[in-house]
Amino acid sequence: MTETNVFSARDIITMNASRPHATHVAVRDGRILGAGSLEDMEQWAPYTLTDDFADKILVPGFVEGHAHAMEGGIWDFPYVGYEDRWDPSGRRWEGAQSLEAVIAALTAAEARLDDAETPLFAWGFDPIYFGEARMNATQLDSVSTTRPIIVLHSNGHLLNVNSRLMDMAGITADTNVYGVLKDDNGKPTGELMEMAAKYMAYRQTGNPFFGGIKTPSLLRYAESAVNCGVTTATDLFASFNEESLAAYVEASQTPGYALRLMPALNTIEQSIDEGIALAKRALQDNNDRLHHRLCKVMTDGSIQGFTARMKWPGYHNGKPNGLWNLDPDTLGELVLEYHKAGLHLHIHTNGDEASELMLDALEAAQLACPRPDHRHTLQHCQMADASQFRRMAKLGVCVNLFANHIYYWGDQHAAITMGPDRANRMDAAGTAQREGVHFSIHSDAPVTPMAPLFTAWCAVNRQTRTGTVLGPEEQISAEDALYAITLGAAYTLHMDHLVGSIEPGKYADFAVLEDSPLQVSPDAIRDIGVWGTISGGAPHKAATRTG
Amino acid sequence: MNDAPVDFTVIGGFLGSGKTSLVNRLLAASGSTRFAVLVNDFGALNIDETLIRHQDGRIMQLANGCICCSLAGGLVDTMVELMRYRHLIDHILIEASGVSYPSRIMDFARIDPDLRPGLTLVLVDAAHLQDHSTDTRLAETITAQMESADMFVLTKTDIASADMAAWSRDWVATRAPDAPIIEGRPDDASLVALITGPAPDATSAATHHHHPADHTGHHAHADPDRALHTHFVSRAMTASRPVDEDGFADFANRFSKHLLRGKGTLHFHRRSAIWQQAGRLVHLEDATLDADTASQIVMISADDLSEAAAALRALGFQDVANVPAR
Repeated sequence: MTETNVFSARDIITMNASRPHATHVAVRDGRILGAGSLEDMEQWAPYTLTDDFADKILVPGFVEGHAHAMEGGIWDFPYVGYEDRWDPSGRRWEGAQSLEAVIAALTAAEARLDDAETPLFAWGFDPIYFGEARMNATQLDSVSTTRPIIVLHSNGHLLNVNSRLMDMAGITADTNVYGVLKDDNGKPTGELMEMAAKYMAYRQTGNPFFGGIKTPSLLRYAESAVNCGVTTATDLFASFNEESLAAYVEASQTPGYALRLMPALNTIEQSIDEGIALAKRALQDNNDRLHHRLCKVMTDGSIQGFTARMKWPGYHNGKPNGLWNLDPDTLGELVLEYHKAGLHLHIHTNGDEASELMLDALEAAQLACPRPDHRHTLQHCQMADASQFRRMAKLGVCVNLFANHIYYWGDQHAAITMGPDRANRMDAAGTAQREGVHFSIHSDAPVTPMAPLFTAWCAVNRQTRTGTVLGPEEQISAEDALYAITLGAAYTLHMDHLVGSIEPGKYADFAVLEDSPLQVSPDAIRDIGVWGTISGGAPHKAATRTG
Repeated sequence: MNDAPVDFTVIGGFLGSGKTSLVNRLLAASGSTRFAVLVNDFGALNIDETLIRHQDGRIMQLANGCICCSLAGGLVDTMVELMRYRHLIDHILIEASGVSYPSRIMDFARIDPDLRPGLTLVLVDAAHLQDHSTDTRLAETITAQMESADMFVLTKTDIASADMAAWSRDWVATRAPDAPIIEGRPDDASLVALITGPAPDATSAATHHHHPADHTGHHAHADPDRALHTHFVSRAMTASRPVDEDGFADFANRFSKHLLRGKGTLHFHRRSAIWQQAGRLVHLEDATLDADTASQIVMISADDLSEAAAALRALGFQDVANVPAR
């Protein structure tokens, strides 16, 4: 007979409606036998009782429905964002809250490179917080004049480079190409945007972020997950080349791997037929910790990059409408074929015109090939209005809202991109709830840090960085937010029979918390400490934060 | 190692306008020009497997020296990768997705000295333009395509009603009054010839000095040359005295609508230059020419060149001879 373990806790919030709270949970073979009182555990005797978490709160392991495994590997490069962040090993990367601080961080990173010509890449830069001040090549030249430097902006649309890179690329005052920004004297500032300018930069250095995922990144991704209580996470835009597919298998079979990984095939990386064949073939790789079946579709761009497709009246500041990622008809065909093939679509739609296009496509697919319980999910879906949520409910379409956006860019959305009316309805979890749409909330890590309790805090409080509350009518309760980061997310991934609640038969995946999200005041949810996770019955302690 | 810049052409147009047919035809009739075509979907090209010499993920090398590249990894990274093989490539041709902005793609050639900006050709589906142009999801994109193309090809005129075809032509002409609009099937040899573009005889020698990549290719392959002369009108002119540069630049812009191709060697008062034009795309580049030779040009048009010729006569040109149709 295999071993039975019982964990005790101050409170176990099960998300199981028939037994919402417990003090003990019994685990065997990595799965949950049952949850209840100490007396209830007698039925499983003999068992080993673990009181290590007797003063902690256990909740179902968090499910991150939209993040990227690049969160594991990107820490090979220095982070120069505005807010503090912690890498998977627990090391704090101090937020750079001025241009001088960014330069100082780059100088420190530069000192760690030996060869004088190795390119220096950095990420997470967000000058939106610095008012009018922009970074220029001269400032970067103080970091190095011998190696090319590329600093990626967090919005993904711009790069800052130094003079060395511009020399290599031949970018001078005579370069008259859209996207090469210049100062009042006609000199290029080192800020580059749009494809052509980025191409010219990467032609000199190569693009270190290009290509598939590797095993070390996946291992660090799992460490990052443990740190924030996540036990199931997607890699929601995955290249299914042989190397990447092998890495998923290798990582998921690594002893002690603490994550259930759900890669989503990037559907535009190959023809529709090839993509469907690849996604189906990958199913053979599935194991307890690897769950293929998701497929990702990119419909439009981002709101803060003005590339999301918006319905009338478009962008608040009058910028032209955004960009489709593919012809709308091709996107419709893609949705239909993957739907017919029985695969599970996760569809990036930021603007409301994009969500409308995809609802039309999903409706057409359902008419052509009715599929009960498909659970196709609109991802981000930040600008959908109430009518679109009603359509989602009718079509059985789920939604995963980008709640973190409210905090990080909500002020800019109210002032610049969307204006106050539509900023108030961004990431409308309240409407999703009222209209009966199955929904989740997410971080899109590494775009924002993976931390479901923070994401829940965003959905509960809807507070921007400056403290403004955007659309209090769209706030949801702490209980509903906890549901959204556990069972709600599991539902959108078609994993609710395996994870998302603490009930018999499911994986023994728990987040181990210092406090109850249902007991602390709503504005303190983000401050709750995470001890770590229990994954398949095995405890994994979060990295100790340092620095 | 070939240090000449690689020609760069962008083919735009909505889904169904015939871009893939054109690319297919081009690959079949590439002559000895080594094209690299970047397409969204390999599968749609229907390449005979026996012609595939080597395939490595997203890059396919054909027996005729051409390369096909999938854009699935994104245009930026695909171009970075492709340019590592620039010594194997004479001419890059991008099949732009229907919703991309061709001018943003041509920016690659404007920023990279290893690329030479060429033609931006937009294919317009005459049977569906009305639907597309009134679809709010597509309206801005199609307008941007009208602005950025050097010339247009109106396709599917065989299946569009006469009214619809006329409507489509007018719609494009209103938005791009100075660009040529050709009607034809996307796999017409003449269309391919416009892209592969053999240098008309009168100017070929000078052109080759400027652009050695042309050397081996075009003359060995007579087919495009014949196609050009069969389908279009040509006219060669010459001027023995220096030409007024502003006047010539004005001519090039004024008659862009009629000039499918124009090539020539020109002596201006202050410099000598090579002229190359394809619709709204005008290149006038410095060149070292023999001072004793006359200025010589050749024009190719789908319609009438008599007004253009009159304008050139006012600048001091005279007819050499009408290039006879073959």
